[in-house]
Amino acid sequence: MIHFNDVTKIYNSNVKAIENMNFTVEEGELVIMLGPSGCGKTTLLRMVNQLESITKGDIMLNGKSVWHSNKIEMRRNIGYVIQSNGLFPNMNIEDNAMIVPNLLGWDRKKMRDRFNMLMELVGLNPDEYRKRYPHELSGGQQQRVGVARALAADPPVMLMDEPFGALDPIIRTHLQEEFLQIQKELKKTILFVSHDIDEAVKMADKIALLKGGKMMQYAEPARMLNKPANSFVAEFVGQDRVLKSMSLYTVRDLANALTLKPVIESPDSQNINENLSLRVAISKILNQEADQLIVENDNGTRKGSITLDLIEQFLHREIKESV
Amino acid sequence: MCSGGDLIVNLIEYFVSNFTFILGYTWDHIKLVGLAIIIAIVIGVPLGIYCSVNKYAASTILQIASIMMTIPSLALFGIMIPVLSLINEGIGTLPAIIALVLYSQLPIIRNTYTAINNVDPDIRDAANGIGLTTFQRLIKVELPNAMPLIMAGIRTATVLNIGVGAIATLIGAGGLGGIIYQGILRTNNTMILAGAIAVAVLALIADLFLRLIENLFTPKGVKK
Ligand SMILES: Nc1ncnc2c1ncn2[C@@H]1O[C@H](COP(=O)(O)OP(=O)(O)O)[C@@H](O)[C@H]1O
Ligand SMILES: [Mg+2]
Repeated sequence: MIHFNDVTKIYNSNVKAIENMNFTVEEGELVIMLGPSGCGKTTLLRMVNQLESITKGDIMLNGKSVWHSNKIEMRRNIGYVIQSNGLFPNMNIEDNAMIVPNLLGWDRKKMRDRFNMLMELVGLNPDEYRKRYPHELSGGQQQRVGVARALAADPPVMLMDEPFGALDPIIRTHLQEEFLQIQKELKKTILFVSHDIDEAVKMADKIALLKGGKMMQYAEPARMLNKPANSFVAEFVGQDRVLKSMSLYTVRDLANALTLKPVIESPDSQNINENLSLRVAISKILNQEADQLIVENDNGTRKGSITLDLIEQFLHREIKESV
Repeated sequence: MCSGGDLIVNLIEYFVSNFTFILGYTWDHIKLVGLAIIIAIVIGVPLGIYCSVNKYAASTILQIASIMMTIPSLALFGIMIPVLSLINEGIGTLPAIIALVLYSQLPIIRNTYTAINNVDPDIRDAANGIGLTTFQRLIKVELPNAMPLIMAGIRTATVLNIGVGAIATLIGAGGLGGIIYQGILRTNNTMILAGAIAVAVLALIADLFLRLIENLFTPKGVKK
């Protein structure tokens, strides 16, 4: 758990980078800090592992004040990933990934097993990459190693500063999805910086939207999209915010909230799995010019059908409800 | 004056017939410069590292080292004589080594300082963020990545010292300067040239040798 308690950061006694910040990243949550360039995201992140000092207030890390912690020891218990990956050019991939376990004095066998396990986790063949050097890897591969290095000593907390920001869109999407899978399994407490609303909507449990060092809104993605706290938030998340929010709801969410339409058999009727998002559902309806989709669960049991009308009704209801 | 062809024949004859004599002078030269460079590294590299963490000290230290370089070598040897005469070491190896060490400081300190400052700030940030202590960061990250540039400074200092070392013979330090000096006294052009060539060849070999060492000490991932 990371708790920001009235945190203020002033650089050089005149630049106010963060002002009275109060929020909590709960255990196992992935929180994305979002906001325009210069709004203080990196500063806030770096105060957690004390790469920047706190001017006023305090940050509690699993109940312990970072002020009063031993910096070195604390940092070894926090996974740290930065945009430029920061791999050490002089060390091969295994030494890079195992730097923290090495500092902690793990034995060789344990480190080797951990390396093999982590490389599999981030989708790289351990034996193929073990003895290679960072400059011999592509940007995406380097960033995977960066993630493996951060996870090496199994820290409960991770800080990630635009970890996929330097990658091209296709690789970025890949890594985002892979990282979400990893997070589903590991349930780390993660504070993640991004300037990309789509990335945040896709990955975050909660989004913290900052502007000029102040919190504009702290909420679940769907809530932020459907019920922005002010006009800055509404503008930042984009005109298509309602459309974006559709990727956050599954067909099942709709089925649980509203009564599905009865199934009308016709030769060109289409099925949709209830675990798919409403975004997929609506594309399917528009693409195939079907009036309705038959909702099925994993066993193939039909639960009813959905139409454009029903989706619209659901969204209206969500937008109103998430006040 | 003799023709170019004669000169070359004379030179070859000189090298062949005085082989052991030249080898002896060369060996003295290597010992003199080698010892000076080792001392210079022991002083200069830590000073360079210190400069990289203390910007105020850096400008002062680098300025002093620069001034040292501008003193003509003959003058520096001259200054050394009265000072060291106080401990009866006015002439000989000691003043020569001190002068060579002083001359080496600028390239060694400056390159070490620049090399460490040039380590990618993101890499340094990652090292800090991961929980390396300042010393661990220096040993595991900064120095290995700075190695090529530090070695380049040491190479520059060595080649410089092999040249300056030839003048040290004037204060009785021995070395290849002795052959040139004797040539001047006897107005023997072949001898002067032979001494000069020996100095140049030694500098080239030293440079090559240090490149090999550099290759050995530079981590694989840092090589271009
Ligand atoms: N080391 C520093 N010294 C002075 N000002 C800084 C420093 N780092 C950041 N700032 C300022 O603090 C503000 C927030 O910066 P930063 O946290 O990097 O924003 P972001 O990561 O959201 O782009 C900016 O106005 C920036 O200029
Ligand atoms: Mg930033």
